Amino acid sequence: MKGAQRQHEQAEGIVKQPLFLWGMYWRLIGVQVRAQLQYRTAFVLEILSSGITLFLFFLSMAFVLQRFGDLGGWTLGELAFLWGTVEFAFGLMDMIFSGFDPSNFGKQVRQGFFDQLLLRPVNITVQVLGSEFFLRRLGRIAQGALIFAFALSLADIHWTVGKLLYLPLVIGGLVCFFGGLFIIGATGSFWTVDSIEAMNILTYGGSEMMAYPMHIYPDWLRRTFTYIVPAIFLNYYPALYFLEKSDPLGLSQILSFISPLVGMGMLGVALAFWRFGIKHYQSTGT
Amino acid sequence: MLYNRQFALRPIDDGRWTIEERVQSIVYRLRSVSYYHKEFAVNLQAALPPIPEVRLFWELARRSFQRQMTYRAATLAGLATNLFFGLLRVAVMVALYGERTTVAGMNLQAAITYTGLGQAVIAFLSIFGWYDLMRSVSSGEVAADLLKPLGYFRFWLALDLGRALVAFLLRGVTVMLFYAFFFDIITPVTLWQWTALTIALVLSWVLSFAWRFLVNLAAFWTPNAIGVGRFAFGIAWVLSGFYMPLRFFPTWFQSFCHFTPFPSMVNTTIEIYLGLLMGPALIQALFVQLFWIAVTILACQRVLRAGVHRLVIQGG
Repeated sequence: MKGAQRQHEQAEGIVKQPLFLWGMYWRLIGVQVRAQLQYRTAFVLEILSSGITLFLFFLSMAFVLQRFGDLGGWTLGELAFLWGTVEFAFGLMDMIFSGFDPSNFGKQVRQGFFDQLLLRPVNITVQVLGSEFFLRRLGRIAQGALIFAFALSLADIHWTVGKLLYLPLVIGGLVCFFGGLFIIGATGSFWTVDSIEAMNILTYGGSEMMAYPMHIYPDWLRRTFTYIVPAIFLNYYPALYFLEKSDPLGLSQILSFISPLVGMGMLGVALAFWRFGIKHYQSTGT
Repeated sequence: MLYNRQFALRPIDDGRWTIEERVQSIVYRLRSVSYYHKEFAVNLQAALPPIPEVRLFWELARRSFQRQMTYRAATLAGLATNLFFGLLRVAVMVALYGERTTVAGMNLQAAITYTGLGQAVIAFLSIFGWYDLMRSVSSGEVAADLLKPLGYFRFWLALDLGRALVAFLLRGVTVMLFYAFFFDIITPVTLWQWTALTIALVLSWVLSFAWRFLVNLAAFWTPNAIGVGRFAFGIAWVLSGFYMPLRFFPTWFQSFCHFTPFPSMVNTTIEIYLGLLMGPALIQALFVQLFWIAVTILACQRVLRAGVHRLVIQGG
């Protein structure tokens, strides 16, 4: 009896260790990667086709700018910098945080799969993170990288050590920011399904919005995405620093460097909300 | 529920089925009836004199319309998304134009209206993709659909008609009303322009449907048809003039686009609305639409015939 109890306690201890959770996460993902690699032709075709689609988008943007010269004072290369960073970071986030994708997670909650996860003796956040992993997001990531490469060749950026070191932090900030939006949307689906659509506007609409320089938007919209959802600090202000452009909005230059902080802040707020949601979660009973 | 029970208890050959009941039994697809009943309905249809196809077509369209009307939350969400993206597109156009007044025959007002019309037809033409037929193939429902006393193409056309009408009214017209409220947009003036616009809208819907149908038929060959769909719909975003007005492109790329059916889906309709196509050019554009409809439908029939021979229904 006592032995059994000790064993149980030991097991519980192991389950809470970070190393165990880390291993568990990789195991959950590994299964999915192996499964998805079974359909190699489909995988390659999909990446190829989305690559062609994106190329067409880029081409038409290039054509339009050829005719107009610039967009709000930004050249094609400079726009590609914004577009590439957002595309790359969003793809990366979409690969890591797919489990929290509100439209998918909402379905899991409605169909009761989320209840199954809750019954397992492993950290719930790790389980949800490991519940979906789409290898095909590599396509979007590669496309982002490609657009970014265009930006590098078109927009003559003066690289310094500071810029090289800061670039990964900007990408990290963007990943955290979008991941935070996904987590908030997922948590919202504990209460209502309609919240998902509203969040989709923020995530997909937000990423589309951030692909263009923020000063082109009407004031009220830009203020919303400065003070309520601080998206403007994640790639617009860093881009001003990388491309050495002056700020048409006339704010402090320091704002170019808060991107990682804003991203982590967003993720922190989202995780707090997620924990609050889990605590108050009531199953739909299905 | 009551209807289902009646349906199950009646013997097959009692000959007392009203036309209405038989129509009901064919449009089962729009209700949730058990598989047994589906089989039953199909067998029954074979034994009785045929119902006029036109009647069936309109009944299916009506049912589809009613069903689509009930998706209120989805409609609202879609509308909100269209308006948000419309706002972004307008900002991009304003920034592009800057001080310029007219580019490629379009002034800023026309360009803004263009973005509105683009958002307005997204749902109407299912621009972001349509995978219903593919899903029916993977779920096996296709077996019963192919046995219907209505051509397979016409069956889906009827369903899409109902869906498109709702989308046109609730998503298309509404987007344009919002645009008219917030921005200074162009509206067609002459009666002739309105007439041409109506014809072009109908033709663009038929063409877009035929294209979507053709793409969906890929599901008869491969279980990964969704990938095919993403590609086929994705290239249409750019080549149809949905992403950017085709007029902004260099001439050689415009002519390349016009070698595909895509401009007839979006660009033509919008240019007629904006009054950019007039006189003989307008008539020609309508005939080009008709031409592409004929080509695509012909392709649909060919491919469908080949596909049905290949199709293997997995279980039931």
